[in-house]
Amino acid sequence: MAGVASSNRQRSKLAPYLMILPALAYLGVFYVVPFVSLFRTSLSTMGGSVYMPKLTFAWNFSNYGDALSLYKDQILRSFGYALSATVLCILLAFPLAYVIAFKAGRYKNLLLGLVILPFFVTFLIRTLAWKTILADDGWVVGGLGAIGLLPPDGRLLSTSWAVIGGLTYNWIIFMILPLYVSLEKIDARLLEASRDLYGTNRRMFGKVILPLAMPGVLAGSMLVFIPSVGDFINADYLGSTQTKMIGNVIQRQFLVVKDYPAAAALSFVLMAMILVGVLLYTRALGTEDLV
Amino acid sequence: MANEIDPRILAQSASRRRFIGGGAAAAAALVLGPSFLAACGKSDNTSGSASGPATPSDDGQPATGKLRISNWPLYMADGFVAAFQTATGLTVDYKEDFNDNEEWFAKNKEPLSRKQDIGADLVVPTQFLAARLNGLGWLNGISESRWTNKKNLRPDLLDAKADPGRKFSAPYMSGMVGLAYNRAATGRDITTIDDLWDPAYKGKVSLFTDMQDGLGMLLLSQGTSLDDLTIEGVQKAVDLVKEQKDKGQIRRFTGNDYADDLAAGNIVIAQAYSGDVVQLQKDNPDLRFVVPDSGGTTFVDTMVIPYTTQNQKAAEEWINFVYDRPNYAKLVAETQYVPVLSDMTDELNKIDPGLASNPLINPAKETLDKLKSWPALTDEQTQEFNKAYATVTGG
Repeated sequence: MAGVASSNRQRSKLAPYLMILPALAYLGVFYVVPFVSLFRTSLSTMGGSVYMPKLTFAWNFSNYGDALSLYKDQILRSFGYALSATVLCILLAFPLAYVIAFKAGRYKNLLLGLVILPFFVTFLIRTLAWKTILADDGWVVGGLGAIGLLPPDGRLLSTSWAVIGGLTYNWIIFMILPLYVSLEKIDARLLEASRDLYGTNRRMFGKVILPLAMPGVLAGSMLVFIPSVGDFINADYLGSTQTKMIGNVIQRQFLVVKDYPAAAALSFVLMAMILVGVLLYTRALGTEDLV
Repeated sequence: MANEIDPRILAQSASRRRFIGGGAAAAAALVLGPSFLAACGKSDNTSGSASGPATPSDDGQPATGKLRISNWPLYMADGFVAAFQTATGLTVDYKEDFNDNEEWFAKNKEPLSRKQDIGADLVVPTQFLAARLNGLGWLNGISESRWTNKKNLRPDLLDAKADPGRKFSAPYMSGMVGLAYNRAATGRDITTIDDLWDPAYKGKVSLFTDMQDGLGMLLLSQGTSLDDLTIEGVQKAVDLVKEQKDKGQIRRFTGNDYADDLAAGNIVIAQAYSGDVVQLQKDNPDLRFVVPDSGGTTFVDTMVIPYTTQNQKAAEEWINFVYDRPNYAKLVAETQYVPVLSDMTDELNKIDPGLASNPLINPAKETLDKLKSWPALTDEQTQEFNKAYATVTGG
């Protein structure tokens, strides 16, 4: 009898590990192995034939130096664009998520549905649609020109604004949903309490709602910022020759130039910078848990 | 709104050298990249066979079974595949998944180097890629006994430097790389490369990302011959592009997607492929295509049989079917490119009397005189030139 109990106990100790095993194996195969492989590539030298190059691992740190010095503009631009898009997403998504969480009443599900609906359309088509909307001969440019907001030879498409706008538009759902979840979780009695304590609307927002929504802001920021930094579709279709992002450079290095060490080094620089950025941001917001 | 957007997007997603493929392929490469890179280092076991490909032994029996074709989008005529199936009794799995030469190569070189099936028995790369694949020993020869219509091929293409006598690559379509412009928007005729840099068109000009298609006419305009290219000559052209890019003159580097920008008025002068322009002119008669005075380039897309093919005989059967003049006329009528077969006038006129007289399908002698074709570059040259051009287009 005692033996059975102890083996049960052992089994229950093992159970959590068994349960995370599939996920760990998945991460190991599809994340750790490629990660190590990419890291080795980034420090390799290329030799042998041009089209079937031999990569030799050689602690070749100059790949990093070259990548940084050649493409620092694109790296800085990517961070600038992603940061702008993230801030825009917060500014646009917060009021919307707030309204859906607190004011929408029986329209809550309808509004949420409307938020999600555009994302049923594939990413590429949505981005291409903006090309049509912002076209030089389109009604948006014409209208803005007519009221003097755009100089006569001005344009919207193929500018930094179009790229940032595209990033904002394409990723905003990842800001709205976490914000909505955070706001929705707020206990309405806390708001009542703050009113009972003579809190003004502004103070209630600053002292109660915003701090409680912080996990949503943080999660949303990461979900928007990280894919935005590495994005290349928006810069490709909505941008110009002056708005290339680091994702465009990596794409061309991998697929056209086929300089794998340089492309791998750039990917790592990007990852490292994202990691540092995210850590600083998390610390600054002082949030321990993400949701 | 949706109704306004759809046709253009559909047209774009179907156009020949569309650039979307780049996005998807790059996404795939970024995801799969490390593993295929890891494999890169190990498998260097291919020996380049410059002597020419081997043709597998042929039992003389008719082809049977299934043929898998991978071709560029919008490069086929309605009913053509069905007609082939009826005529031969073969089943065809026709895919339009060949979007970009370099990207196709980047994606398929690993399986090919290990002699693994790439899911296609016949593919249609541009001549330079066909030559590269052959150099790596990855192509089968095309059997003359099954390719009896080979005699219909234009003599100038039969003797091409890249594949003398056409042992491994069967030309499919040929076309011109020149300039397309919107006459209503430019207000004047465009004739030279210098017209591209007219300040009046600032931010309204697009160039190709492809090294050969993008730099070819610029090299010619600088008096650089394509036949004995050096990196210095290429660098001079790249510097010109960089200067104009930094000035804001060049709006975009494009694949086939220049067509949308041209149609939408975002671009007024674009480097362009002749066949596209014939198709675009139907919607916008203001569009013109011109080979610059200093010269333009031609390209030839070719049908090749990878050495991993699972149906060599059927692939040869297909090539022979395409090389039948009445069949081929249907393809030209649809794709609007320059025929690779000789004496097509009669067959084209049977379909549409306007076809054969269209100067973009049947170019005049003075146009042909201005056209140069790229020589077979060495692997090192291609890599070096690609790299030089990518520093401008990629960043």
